[in-house]
Amino acid sequence: MNTVVCMKQVPDTETLIKINPEGTGIVTEGIKWVMCPYDEYAVEEALQQKEKFKAGKVTIVSLGPDRAIEAIRTGLAMGADTAVHINDAAFYEKADPYATAAALAAAVKDLEYDAIFCGKQAIDDDSGQVPAILGELLGLPVVTLVVKLEVSEDKTKAVATREVEGGHAVVEVSLPAIFSAQKGLNEPRYASLPGIMKAKKKPVDVKTVSDLGVSVEPMTAIKEMSLPPARQAGKILEGEDAVEKAKALAKALHEEAKLI
Amino acid sequence: MDVSKLITRQVFWNLVGKGFPVAQVVVYIIALVVIGLFFWSLSRSGFFTRFKMWRLATGTDVARLDKPWSRFWYAVADVFAHRKILREPYQGIFHFFIFWGFFILLIGTAIVALQSDIVEPIWHVWFWQGDFYLWYSVVTDIGGAIAIIGALMALARRYFFRPKWLDNRPEDIYILWFIVAVLVTGFLVEGLRMQATEVQPGNLMHPYVWYSPVGRLFAYMFAGMGIPAIKVTHKALWWTHMALAMLFIVYIAWSKLLHMFVTPVNIFLRNRTGQPHLKLIPPEAFETAETFGVHNVEEYSWKDLFDSEACMRCGRCVEVCPAFNTDKPLAPRDVIQDIREYLEKKAKFAIDPTSGQARIIPDEEYEGPALIGDTIEKDTIWACTTCMACVEACPAYIEQFPKLIDLRRYLVMMEADFPSEVQEVFKGMENNSNPWSIGAHTRADWAKGLDVPLMSEKGQAEYLFFVGCAGAFDDRNKKVATALVKLFNAAGLDYAILGTEEGCCGDSAKRIGNEYLYQALAQANIETFKAYNVKKIITMCPHGYNILKNEYSELGGDYEVYHYIQILNDLIKSGKIELKKPVEGLGTITYHDSCYIGRYNKVYDEPRDVIRSLNSGSLVEMKSNREKSLCCGAGGGRMWMEETLGTRINQKRTQEAIDAGAKTICTLCPFCLTMLSDGIKELEKDEEMQAFDISELVLKAAGIE
Ligand SMILES: Cc1cc2nc3c(=O)[nH]c(=O)nc-3n(C[C@H](O)[C@H](O)[C@H](O)COP(=O)(O)OP(=O)(O)OC[C@H]3O[C@@H](n4cnc5c(N)ncnc54)[C@H](O)[C@@H]3O)c2cc1C
Ligand code: SF4
Ligand code: SF4
Repeated sequence: MNTVVCMKQVPDTETLIKINPEGTGIVTEGIKWVMCPYDEYAVEEALQQKEKFKAGKVTIVSLGPDRAIEAIRTGLAMGADTAVHINDAAFYEKADPYATAAALAAAVKDLEYDAIFCGKQAIDDDSGQVPAILGELLGLPVVTLVVKLEVSEDKTKAVATREVEGGHAVVEVSLPAIFSAQKGLNEPRYASLPGIMKAKKKPVDVKTVSDLGVSVEPMTAIKEMSLPPARQAGKILEGEDAVEKAKALAKALHEEAKLI
Repeated sequence: MDVSKLITRQVFWNLVGKGFPVAQVVVYIIALVVIGLFFWSLSRSGFFTRFKMWRLATGTDVARLDKPWSRFWYAVADVFAHRKILREPYQGIFHFFIFWGFFILLIGTAIVALQSDIVEPIWHVWFWQGDFYLWYSVVTDIGGAIAIIGALMALARRYFFRPKWLDNRPEDIYILWFIVAVLVTGFLVEGLRMQATEVQPGNLMHPYVWYSPVGRLFAYMFAGMGIPAIKVTHKALWWTHMALAMLFIVYIAWSKLLHMFVTPVNIFLRNRTGQPHLKLIPPEAFETAETFGVHNVEEYSWKDLFDSEACMRCGRCVEVCPAFNTDKPLAPRDVIQDIREYLEKKAKFAIDPTSGQARIIPDEEYEGPALIGDTIEKDTIWACTTCMACVEACPAYIEQFPKLIDLRRYLVMMEADFPSEVQEVFKGMENNSNPWSIGAHTRADWAKGLDVPLMSEKGQAEYLFFVGCAGAFDDRNKKVATALVKLFNAAGLDYAILGTEEGCCGDSAKRIGNEYLYQALAQANIETFKAYNVKKIITMCPHGYNILKNEYSELGGDYEVYHYIQILNDLIKSGKIELKKPVEGLGTITYHDSCYIGRYNKVYDEPRDVIRSLNSGSLVEMKSNREKSLCCGAGGGRMWMEETLGTRINQKRTQEAIDAGAKTICTLCPFCLTMLSDGIKELEKDEEMQAFDISELVLKAAGIE
């Protein structure tokens, strides 16, 4: 089974995030970048499907600047066969979900695939739109939040289990289709050392957006970005006994917090 | 020569008369045949087959033949003085008895042969007489007696005591009865001869009968027999004794008795570094090598394979193994024995039956059982805490657990096959340089407001204080790091920390088998150390201490490394830290030896000295202490794995502290502190007991806020 995985490089969840001076994005220097964790499920699922059918090719497609190659190599080390790196820092910087999806669609168009796997969301800007817009642009069905996937022997259709509020829904869809991966779909593998070494030699097709003939403009632009307010230090109320302390608490809630 | 007037005895009494000494010649013929049979047996018992397999081994090793004379004398001293064997009193003493008994008899027999078959025929001199003879007689008799006592003690252990770490195979019992039979027939022969000769009043030797004390006692058994009957019995038993002794020699080649030759060689070949050897994978190898770790037995080093020959299944390594003692499927002895048996299985494929040539068979061609899985189970491989108790205990200087690390390396690096919990740990180390996966930028947060000098601000300091991941990220252990810097500040120590420039030392990664990740982490630290021209390092964690001190050098990092306990001990002794008042409420204190500070680096006394200098409670030892200390269960990356098989090691160790009557458990390792604190909670002793890091108590005793 041939598959494409849309994979985004994102800041590590533990890394220190700072807003840039313009207030329109984050400072990208000095942070640790990793493959989006949901995209790890996507890569793993593609690999498992390939292993199940004992044939096919897994292609990773990623839009991102130079540094994205590291995450691409991680995917190749896990076992993906080839990759398309849409390396276009200027485009990427402004890209909203629509522009991203348009670039990805252009790159995917020329590939052979029975399914496209995405993560359910990129953990950096959390818009959750790319899989859906990609489906729209490619004219393919989209199944989101997949936690289980079974592809028919003849690769013409698939049964996907989706996570829905408080339960599961089982969806049948004809292939090719787009699936967005939710936690629980699988256990992403750790790259073996031969995998890492082989990944260094695997082909990566580097393209710019104009190479792909994409000339879309983003439909949205970030005007302002801010961090959640820093948590205030707690305050210990003084008082002789419980009654005193309760009084102090009531006063503070009323006068300082203005809650009562 | 006429010897009948000397204090001596006739060799081959009752066996050779006047004329041609038939029996004497027959004995030499038998001896030659036995030597031939011995070598034939070696080939039939698989020894030569295994020898061919050792020669196929490709794995690298430490130097094994450097300083040959020092090695030789070390081995001689170890073999004859039983230095390591006597560490266990019971089995030590019985082995000592059997060894020395047989050694004396061997020398005794050689002296007789020298006298009667060389010196006498050539020079016509009889030196085996007078005082020398009498000494000879007493010593050889006692030799035989202690060997019998030793064998009986060993039999008692096999039949009655039967410790659960001892595996009882039929040969173990045969060997011991064989020994008893050889020796008892020898004494019977002696007793018969004495009854017919020396015991008789009027015999020239009669006054000296008690110079053969055991023989004399045996002679009483035959007191009622007539001389002709004695002579017939003597002859029959003499040949029986001879036959048994010769068979025994042949049996050496077939049984674990072969260890009498192989084990001394293994002691000679011992690892002189004192550190269990994990094979060096040179950094360049990651670019070029096809495979890492061991999954084919030939990927071990020849010494790894030779080790399996030197193991006589004494079980000392099993007795001390924390995994075995908590019912996990690991016994280090069995790992070694499994490798040995597997060699023969693999030899069926590797050795061409017609030409006898051995070759390494490629994986694709090989259809026999696998080393990992079929021979050594994965659960076995992951159960090891790398506590080094096995290596420390082994009288044959075998390095057991490093062979498991080789297998881990294969599983981790080649197959990415490891307990699933570990993946997060690897990722944490990769992305944030700590196993907890906490943001690397928060590494120095613990030190905020504590007046801790940063290397980047100070530029240079006498000591780098390498805090380590636990001190930087684990809440309980942050308190230990805090106590340490307060003490350093109070003592005016010239030190600094690296703050966010510090990285994980890589110990867990290395011992889990991820050498690739370890080297990346180590290289990063080495670069940073170089940038600040670091020469002396103090670590908080014994794991960091060990790896920085002993293993970074393989990657080009050489430093003078101290564990904090060594520094604190000096600061207290020199009065720079003054312990002003006893710490209240500690009760009886026990000290838990961390494996990586104790067995790995032989630091046993400093922690005890510091605890005593606290003056805050009496110090008691747990059942297992110092060299035999029981691991807390966290080493070898076990800290990061679930402990689902058997019982929990930390609880076993905590129980030892309870049994010792301790109210306070002291340690100096963040992993141990975590494991033992958990142990106290799990055993519901948190009302009565507590665990501390020694530095925390020093801080209290010094009265520093
Ligand atoms: C109705 C609704 C309810 C919600 N409720 C909750 C809630 O209760 N709690 C909560 O926490 N959140 C909630 N959310 C938020 C939601 O979970 C996330 O916003 C969304 O799932 C993640 O979107 P995203 O922007 O990260 O995805 P996208 O950025 O669109 O990314 C999705 C996937 O597209 C691909 N992709 C994106 N960019 C690239 C690139 N540059 N190169 C290659 N591939 C790429 C990747 O495969 C990625 O994983 C809700 C959202 C909706 C719409
Ligand atoms: S190192 Fe410790 S846990 Fe591992 S085999 Fe040896 S004794 Fe057992
Ligand atoms: S490995 Fe060493 S300690 Fe263990 S059984 Fe063999 S000889 Fe004894």
